[in-house]
This record gives sequence, structure tokens and C-alpha cells, in this order.
Amino acid sequence: MNLILKNARIIDPGRNIDTIGDIGVENAVITDPGKVTNAREIDLTGKVVTPGFIDVHVHLRQPGNTTAETIASGTAAAAAGGFTSVVAMPNTSPAADTAGAIEYLRQTAARTGVVRVLPCGCMTKNFAGQEMAGIGSLKSAGVVALSDDGKCIQDHSLMRHVVEYAKSFELPILDHCEDNYLAAGGVMNEGKWSVLLGMNGMTGAAEELMIARNIILARQFQWPIHMQHVSVKESVELIRKARAEGIPVTGEATPHHLSLTDDCIKTYDTNYKMNPPLRSEEDRQALLRAVADGTITAIATDHAPHTVTAKLVEFDHAPFGIIGLETALSVTYTELVASGMMALPEFVKRLTTGPADILRMKDYDLAEGKAADITVFDPEAEYVVDPSTFKSKSRNTPFGGRRVRCRNIMTIVGGNVVYEYGK
Amino acid sequence: MNGNKLFTAEDIDAAVEKIASDIGAEFKGDFSDCALVGIHNQGVPFAQLICESLRKKYGTAPLLGKLDISMYRDDIGNRLRLPAIKETEIPFDVNGSSIILVDDVLSTGRTIRAALDALTDYGRAGLIRLAVLVDRGNLEFPIHADYVGLYSTPPSDEKIVVRFAADGEPGIYAVKWENHNL
Amino acid sequence: MEWTRKDLLSLYDLEAEEIECILDTAAEFKKVSQRRVKKVPALRGKTVVNFFVEPSTRTRVSFELAEQRLSADVVNMQAQASSLLKGETLLDTVKNIEALQVDLVVMRHSATGAQAFIASKLKCGVINAGDGAHSHPTQALLDIFTIREKKGGIKGLNVTILGDILHSRVARSNMWGLLKLGANVTLAGPSTLVPREFESIPGVKVCHNLKDAVANADVVNLLRIQHERQTAGFFPGTGEYARFFGINAESMKFMKPDVMIMHPGPINRDVELSGEVADGSNSVILEQVTNGLAVRMAVLFLVAGCVKK
Repeated sequence: MNLILKNARIIDPGRNIDTIGDIGVENAVITDPGKVTNAREIDLTGKVVTPGFIDVHVHLRQPGNTTAETIASGTAAAAAGGFTSVVAMPNTSPAADTAGAIEYLRQTAARTGVVRVLPCGCMTKNFAGQEMAGIGSLKSAGVVALSDDGKCIQDHSLMRHVVEYAKSFELPILDHCEDNYLAAGGVMNEGKWSVLLGMNGMTGAAEELMIARNIILARQFQWPIHMQHVSVKESVELIRKARAEGIPVTGEATPHHLSLTDDCIKTYDTNYKMNPPLRSEEDRQALLRAVADGTITAIATDHAPHTVTAKLVEFDHAPFGIIGLETALSVTYTELVASGMMALPEFVKRLTTGPADILRMKDYDLAEGKAADITVFDPEAEYVVDPSTFKSKSRNTPFGGRRVRCRNIMTIVGGNVVYEYGK
Repeated sequence: MNGNKLFTAEDIDAAVEKIASDIGAEFKGDFSDCALVGIHNQGVPFAQLICESLRKKYGTAPLLGKLDISMYRDDIGNRLRLPAIKETEIPFDVNGSSIILVDDVLSTGRTIRAALDALTDYGRAGLIRLAVLVDRGNLEFPIHADYVGLYSTPPSDEKIVVRFAADGEPGIYAVKWENHNL
Repeated sequence: MEWTRKDLLSLYDLEAEEIECILDTAAEFKKVSQRRVKKVPALRGKTVVNFFVEPSTRTRVSFELAEQRLSADVVNMQAQASSLLKGETLLDTVKNIEALQVDLVVMRHSATGAQAFIASKLKCGVINAGDGAHSHPTQALLDIFTIREKKGGIKGLNVTILGDILHSRVARSNMWGLLKLGANVTLAGPSTLVPREFESIPGVKVCHNLKDAVANADVVNLLRIQHERQTAGFFPGTGEYARFFGINAESMKFMKPDVMIMHPGPINRDVELSGEVADGSNSVILEQVTNGLAVRMAVLFLVAGCVKK
């Protein structure tokens, strides 16, 4: 159906637009609203229209753990959260390390997906950090990036070759930065709270060390490396300095690292267990500043579904990770915009052009003729998070019961309304 | 004191005197193998008062012990609140001796049942008697007091509360259970 | 002070008055063990399961004896014997135990917070007999009981806990309990095993030098040095540990003459503590064991009184 979105605040960072106006959608593309015929007209006074949000860090769990999530449920959750594209991490079972696995993902996403699923391939076979995956074949099969997410290649020589080789196929690298020796056995941040609780800590230095390595490789080969889920203030400083020097590195921050700290773990709630772990308040403040000042250019969820059974165990034994697609906008808006730390148009960049740049997508905006991937949200909304309403198959969120601001109210993918709040 | 005053401080003094006389008569003023054991809480000061009275009358008095019966109760886990355990002190050999258990109020007899169990674990007494300040006459066990100061039968929704001079506002009161927070 | 908790999970959770309530109650139970009849009927008809998901001899025996002296019915479950190995979750296992109408579960587990996790899901009482490196409340209570008995009180005492603090639940529990009762706590040992982060707690000093750590101490509580920490690279070896951090006749010379030497056991003789000092007149190590029984009887009694059926 054709659409006319009327009287909305249109924030289109790619074209530097922030204005009140109308947007038309006809035949799946953005069209001059004056020329759209047979349209459903929607009055969006007081609401904000932006290019569709992109999440560069999502675990859809299919194939391998469809009890926790499927491509259908994960993309429905993405739609509910305002995301029109998600990058599917390749640490499925079997892993997305071959052209065949990517083909399966593309076909299943085409058949059952609600939003666009952008495939990501492994850097190494079975993301084991031992042998390089078939990166050329993965590119031919349609991956948009490479990642061993969940693990980090420890062999610096192998990583160096991956970066060099990926460059020739023009595939950006999304890296989970963690030194296995320094983080070994850890279940939470190393700091005051791990010491008081007597839990094994993961020092922030484990992340900092690998970020430093990646900066060196990005400089050496002049090829972009994106640092996933940056969590400590020292990492932020390294990235800030590298970017100032023109080294092609980027970083993402997750809603949970922007809103929670390691003292939460004193309740032993396994929904506070993720990797990298929740850090100190000092780290959280550094991350908020980095997102606000553009050192970190993307907000990404690291949406990691786990079943209730998997999480309802001793803290030490619980798997890492929480879901985030359906709370990301509200949680980060509350921390960054409602708090006054950053202006709304700049915030929108972190969910749109920021991630698009990481994926080397050109001109991600709402210009006429572009695919109609659009997110509409209500910045004035205020509500309490209720996980029972989630589209995700999993409920492993620490945000249940949290009062937040801003709500996604409509998600449009290729001209189709795939989510509408209350419908 | 938030309740109905049943007896005055003078009534308590008279009751102490009466019980001391009765004990003195039974033991003929010879307390060499005899001990008073007060049951916490108010049995302890009451036993002390009896002891002082005997000492005045005879120049000698029984040994004094104190007993907490919490470990011997039959209602652990059924009570709303768990009172703190008080000090138990049995500073004599129980075997063969004559023991007078002392409590402030004799009600159902369950406390005395527990006290008898407790004493038995300290040894085999030759003789055990019971002295109480007030007997309210609603026994649930085949137990009776040998020395009784006063009798009173307030309604069953009221608790008898004894306050000695050291507690302030001395007297014996009937207090509604819901108002009792001693 | 009235006790109102159905679980004992950590001393961090307790008020000073609650700790004193346990110690006072323990003093009465200590007398029971000195009587001709060493048993009271307090927990007659109650069932206690000792569920040890991590091996233990001393603590389990102490709890078991305490339970028997309270007339409880006692069942012991070890991790190896339980169905945990068959892939059942911890929660399912303890729910099955509770379904057998058990009143109390005494549990040891290698994971921090395991007891807190199950206590919130059970109606029966839960007593923590050690969780990970986090908490071992009854050990700390028996240590504090012993100090209070010998020194007359806790307030203002200088207590040094010496050894592998990083991996010690005994150290953490002692620290919280002692702080609540007004002691000054020094945590001491090799810098790799005594994190500076502890100094963020008011009343705690961190010290990496033996002489400074013990010279002014009224009490020195020594912790067992585990061989596995050496292989994990925290310190070079037991020989070097004994030389720089062990307590022996030589170190007694620069300590207060009436310093109390404590150890939760089992002792590595001549590593953290020389045999001479362990058996000497400053040592209260065996009294700790005796008091452990009284403290555990008190805890079982108090907690059982708050489990509602």
C-alpha cells in the first residue's frame, strides 16, 4: 500500500535535514508526497521520521538454537524495535563460514524474515581462530562483513592476514576484542565488585589490548576494523586517538553498557551477565561521552537470546548475553537524549548513518527514489518495559520494569509497514 | 501499662512472703540440698525475690539457677516470632538435689513440661517442685503448682503480664494479646 | 533482638545486632555440648539436608554433628552422588529435595550466589556453607565467636587476615562480620592475592608486607595457601611464600605477646604457619573447631524457627 507520512519531524542525517514535513512512499520507494496516489495517509504530528535503523550486531540463533530465537522471531523483534536491517552474526551452529551457510540464511530470511537480514561471515573456520574461512566465497554469497564474534582471533599473525585478505574483497571487519589470557575464567568485570563478590573478573585490559592490536593492523593495511561492544574507557581513548590520526577504525556501544554497571551483579541475576561484562560507572560515563561526541559512531544491541532454562542457573554457569532489539531505542534515548547529553539529530546518526558507514553503505538517506526503509518514533512517549510483550522468543533482559522514554511506533521496510505500535 | 491491673505491688510482696513461708515450712529451713531455678523471663527475678525473703527469714537460702527453655519448646516454627535465647545457669549438681522450678505465671503447663525435659538433661533430681506467682487455671497438661501466690482467671484473649519493681510500674496486669509486645 | 530470617546467606546482609544474636545464642549452645546429655530436642521432627556440591569434610561433619545434637533428621548429599551429573539443573535438584518435605538445606557450592539464587525460589530455609570465593558465614561467625570469647569483645580490635584473600570466602565473610562489630581489618599477603580494591571499604587496610601487617595485630587469622594458585602463576612457590608471608617463631618476636593465632584449617604446616606456632600457646585453632559446633547449632536453631510451614 502506498503511504503518506504527514506532519512529521523528518530527521535525515545523510542529507542534513531536520524539518517538519511529509514523506511519500509508492511502489516500495520514497516518492514526492504530492505525487503519491491511493495512499494511506498517516498524521504523525509530534512524531519523528528517520531512515530505518540498522543494527550491526544481532544474534538470530538460526540455525542451531531455534528454541531461543529464529530468523522470523528475531526480525520481528527488530521490527518492533525500529530496526529495518540487522547484521546477523555468524556464530550459529553450524557457523556461517561457508557460501552454503550464507545461502541458507538468505533464503530463510527471504521466506520468514520481517526486516532485512544482512549476512556476516566468519573470519576463520567455525570461528575457531585457527584457519582462515573462505572469505572470497563468502563475499560472492553476499556477506556484508566478516566477524568471529563471541571469540577473538588470538594469533596476531592470522589476524593480520585476515585483514589483508579481507581488504582485497572489500569486506569490513567487525571484531570482538578480547585477549583470552587476560579474560580467562572471568564471569564479570574485574574491579571492586568482582573483588567483593569473590567472582572471577575479566579485566578491561583484555579488551584494550586487542583494540590496540586492531588499530595497529587497521593503520598498517589501511582497512577498516570495527570494534564491537566497546566497554571500557581506555578503549574509548584508543579509538578517539586513532580516529584523530585518520586510522580507519570505528566502535559501537550497546544499550546495556550505556545504562548499567557491574554493581547490578550483586543480585546474581544472570540477565546482567554478558561479554564484555558490565563495567564501572566511570567506564559507562566515558562511553556515553564517546557516543555523544561521535568517537563511537554506532549503537548496536548485541541481541543475544537465551532460553529461560539456560539463564535460570548459577551465575557462574549461565551463558553470556542478553536481548536488546526491543529496548535499544528507548534505553539509549533515555540515557543520551532525555538526559540532555546529545541532540536528537546526532543521536539518530548512531542508529542510521553511523552503522551504514561501518558497512560501507553509500548515501543512506530518505532521498526520493531510495528504498522506503523508514522508522517512526514518538520521542514524548514514556512507559515501563514489559518483556511479556516482546516479539523475541527469549526474555533474557535486565530492563523489565524499567521506566524509559521514547517508543518506536512504526517500522517500514521496502514500503511495507512491518510493525505498527498497538496493531 | 496498657492493660487491666489485676494485682498491686503490695499483692506481689505478700505473695512472695507466702511462698517463701510455704517453702521454708516444707524444707524446715534447711536448704543445703535445695535450689531455686527461675524460668526466663520473669521466673528469674521472681526466684531471686523468694531467695531474698528466705535469707531474711532463715539467714540461709537455696542456690539460685536460671533456665531458658527455648531449646525444649514444642512449637518451634509455629510461633510468629522467635525470642532470643537467654542464659541458662545451673551452678550445682542436679543429681539427687531438690529443685523448685519458679515461674511467674502458670497457664497451659507447656513451659513447665519443657522445663522438666531441660532439667532432666542436666541430671536426675531427687525432687522437683513448682512455685508460681499467678495460677490462671487453664492447664492443658497434667501439671500443677505446689506453691501458688495468687489466682486469677482473665478472659482467654488476655495475657497475664507481671512487672516487678525493677521493671517499673510494678503490678500484675491483664493485657489483650494483640497489645502485648513485651 | 529477634531473629527473623529463614536463610543465612552472607554476613554482609546482617545487622550488627543480628550477628550478636547468633553469637549470644551460640554461647548457650556451647554449654549444651559441655553437659552430660549433649543433645536438645529443639529440631525434633525437622529434616535437614546437607547438600555439598563441592567437597568438604570439616564443615560437613561440623554441621552434621550440630544437626544431630539438635535432634534433627539428617541426610547428606554429595555432588558426585546427586543427579547434577546427569544434567539436571541445580534448581530442579533442590526443588526435588524440597518436595521431600525438608525443612532446611545446608548447601556448599563452587559458584558465588548459588545459595542466594535457590533461597529465593524455596520455602525451606537455606544455610550457606560456602559459595565460591564469596561467603562462608558460619566459619566467620565461629572465628568472631572465638575472638569475642577470648578478647571480651570485637570493637576496636586490630584483626589481620593473612593469605590468599582473592580466592577466600572465609576472608570476605570475616571482613564483613568484623567490620559490622567495629574491628579494624587488615587484609595481607602477596600483592597478586590481595587486591587493592578492598581499600574502598571503610575500615579495611590492605598490606603486602608481613611485618607491617601483623606488628600491631590483636588477632592474626591465617588462610590456607592452595597449590593450584601457584600453578596459576599468582606466586612462585610455597617455599618463597613461607619465607615472606609465613608465620613462625621468628615472626612471633615482632607481634604482640598476646596475639591470637587463628586458622580455619586444614593447615599446611610450615607453609603459612609453622608447626611450632600452630601448637603454641597463642594458637586457638582447636577452640575454633569446638566453637564451630556451637555456632552452627545456633544458626540452625534460629533459621529453623523462621521457616514457616
